[in-house]
Amino acid sequence: MQIKENKQEIWRLDQGDAEYPDRLREIPSSPKRLFGIGRLPDENLPSVAMIGARDCSEYGKYVAKGLGTLLGREGIQVISGMARGIDGIGQRAALEAGGSSFGILGSGVDICYPAENRDLYERLMICGGIVSEYEPGTPARPQNFAARNRIVSGLADVVVVVEARMKSGTLITVDMALEQGREVYAVPGRITERLSDGCNSLIRFGAGMLLDGKDFVREVWDVFERKRTGNTRLGKEIRTKMKECENLRSGKERGDEKKKDGDRMTQLPLPLSEIYDALDFAPKSVSEIKRGLTEQYEDRQIITYLMQLCMEEMAVQVSPGQFCIRKK
Amino acid sequence: MFSTVLSGALIGVSAYLVSAEVDIAQGLPCFSMVGSLGGEVKESRERVSVALKNAGFELPPKRITVNLSPADKRKDGTAFDLAIAIGILEALGYFEADASKDILFLGELGLDGEVKKVRGVLPIVREAAKRGIRQCIVPAVNAGEGAVIPGIRVRGAAHISEVFAFLREREESMRELILPAQGVGRGEESSEEREKQLDFADVYGQEGAKRAAEIAAAGFHNLLMVGPPGAGKSMIAKRIPGIMPPLTLEESLEVTTVASVAGILEEGSGLVTKRPFCSPHHTISQPALVGGSINPRPGVISLAHRGVLFLDELPEFQRASLDAMRQPLEERKVYVSRMGASVVFPSEFMLVCAMNPCPCGYYPDRNRCKCTESQIKRYMGKVSGPILDRIDLCVELQPVAISGLHMGSGEESSEAIRKRVLRARERQAERFQGSHCRFNADIDVTNIGEFCALGAEEKAFAEKLYDSLQLSARAYHRIIKVARTIADLEGAERIGTEHLMEASFYRPSLEYWI
Repeated sequence: MQIKENKQEIWRLDQGDAEYPDRLREIPSSPKRLFGIGRLPDENLPSVAMIGARDCSEYGKYVAKGLGTLLGREGIQVISGMARGIDGIGQRAALEAGGSSFGILGSGVDICYPAENRDLYERLMICGGIVSEYEPGTPARPQNFAARNRIVSGLADVVVVVEARMKSGTLITVDMALEQGREVYAVPGRITERLSDGCNSLIRFGAGMLLDGKDFVREVWDVFERKRTGNTRLGKEIRTKMKECENLRSGKERGDEKKKDGDRMTQLPLPLSEIYDALDFAPKSVSEIKRGLTEQYEDRQIITYLMQLCMEEMAVQVSPGQFCIRKK
Repeated sequence: MFSTVLSGALIGVSAYLVSAEVDIAQGLPCFSMVGSLGGEVKESRERVSVALKNAGFELPPKRITVNLSPADKRKDGTAFDLAIAIGILEALGYFEADASKDILFLGELGLDGEVKKVRGVLPIVREAAKRGIRQCIVPAVNAGEGAVIPGIRVRGAAHISEVFAFLREREESMRELILPAQGVGRGEESSEEREKQLDFADVYGQEGAKRAAEIAAAGFHNLLMVGPPGAGKSMIAKRIPGIMPPLTLEESLEVTTVASVAGILEEGSGLVTKRPFCSPHHTISQPALVGGSINPRPGVISLAHRGVLFLDELPEFQRASLDAMRQPLEERKVYVSRMGASVVFPSEFMLVCAMNPCPCGYYPDRNRCKCTESQIKRYMGKVSGPILDRIDLCVELQPVAISGLHMGSGEESSEAIRKRVLRARERQAERFQGSHCRFNADIDVTNIGEFCALGAEEKAFAEKLYDSLQLSARAYHRIIKVARTIADLEGAERIGTEHLMEASFYRPSLEYWI
């Protein structure tokens, strides 16, 4: 059945249809039917669900953006809920890096929720897809989101949690992912950050720890191949092949990165570099930054230096009086 | 058996003269009053007749008619009592007919004949002086405010019998029963008053907020303070009038006039020499804020004229009230139109607002703040955008560390800050000579190029700032205006890059929260 609406074609799939994703067939209480705009995730490519807090920190934003870019560049599909925070940032980054991404909605596929992600919604239609188990026209209801999350993890081979509080919707998704037999990875954070508590405890209970993007990509391919072929031999072959390519590429890139960072540091005159070092992903007020400096400056001077860093896009003013570090 | 006695009435902050005409004739005993009278004026009949009786004057059983002219203007208030009573006494022949000539009477009567305070004495006396009247008799408690007007003798009376005795004496020497009030010191604050004022030396830490307050006071910029409860937002706001330049005589007269019309002048006081500080509760209604009532009275924004209007808990204010301030903020005066009259009140105030960053007060500290993004958005959304548009400086206050609370002095005093502010104001006065602007905050798009010229280097810098901070055109202009003030505070002729950077730190922006 096909419904014409808003110039975009909405397709519908029943569980019996041949195109129905295999990944969803195997999960408990798999959706009876699916609606969508755009495509479905490619069965022949690995996909990763990137999930996390909506009210994420600058650290979470940075990690989500970096990870999304990496996955997009590596051709790994990013599945997420198109929500505010981690979801949207990760998906946007993947699309910008030329990858494909899929938004799983808790509303009908013709409804963009949250409305502020309209840009993402429209790009997902082209470079990926929008998927939902709800009839077109269904408004976004909070009770639908938990059920939606089972499709997010269901369509993925690996689930990665970027930032989550102890009791959060993200951890509900993780529960479902484990039930579905998906690999779960978490990004470690500081033990003092409440927004990292969820991730850290997942690691403590045995989730994979995401320390290096390149390693993670390798492991995703590994998981994917193992699952697809049912034997590890082929997986190993692919892995070694990939590793070779990887080494070639990453060696160059890593060198580049270091050089870039080094360049930036040498460009900075002394007070700026010292203030840059005092910054962190957690917001710091001017007086807190001042405490971290060896030299004594007046508040007014520090403000000027901070604004200079903001202009160079090396810091960000997260509120009228607080700053975070910003890494490109 | 006919008499005319002068009195006065208010429209807004201006006044007009009213003559109380009294006729006493044969006929059925009756006391009627005409002249488009409000409720309080009609009740004057009872007050006057009882007060006269208790002061020892018997009203004859005759037909008494009182007309307050001009009869087509609606009259309110109780200030006509004294004039009506004197008119009746004159019509009854208690003193010579010309004794009350060229004297203006103002005052409410108590039942025992006491002359009680009324509002609006200053503008009425000023109007009388303009019309060539030489003497005024006003309630004793209001004599001080009347006495600031030159060229007119203002006497204060406490009881109607004093007024009667004064009118009956023919010789000037005998008339000293009620002495003319002494003119009070003009413009200058007394040292005693200075000492009573709150000082910035009491505020520990919060350097950023203090600096923002200084910049705001220097350029008359509107200021928004964001911070958790108990960080000292109100403390700082209350100290801002103390670092503004002292009121000039002209300003002082304006402030006193508004206070007089509103009836909030302290008893027995003359000119107001302290800058007003108004801090209405957030439940305030729109008419109370901008002015209103059938016979328009000044609202809080006019009472804060030449001073500071402090709105604490900004998001809690009714949207309609805040939106009503848009035009006054722009035009620096407020038009109040009612059935009775349409008047203009001055409202040249500095707006200082305070609010929490989110419902719980701890955003953006994500470890303590549990508010969801939509909660924060909703909270911020309660602040009307057009009001935020008129705010030039925004500063965040941090919670005070306990060690800070025990620390002693060592903070800069208000006096020292005020000296810098005064210097900055002098520079502005020089710059704006012959233009409609008075402060840097008045600069608009049309003359920003003239008053805030940027050098080539600074221009390139400002453009970079515009791009990297993703400013709007309005925000960009605001930063330049604030940078002008910062340069004035430093005594710099031109706006430098460091001024622009500091100004951009204080830029108000909703993008933090959304």
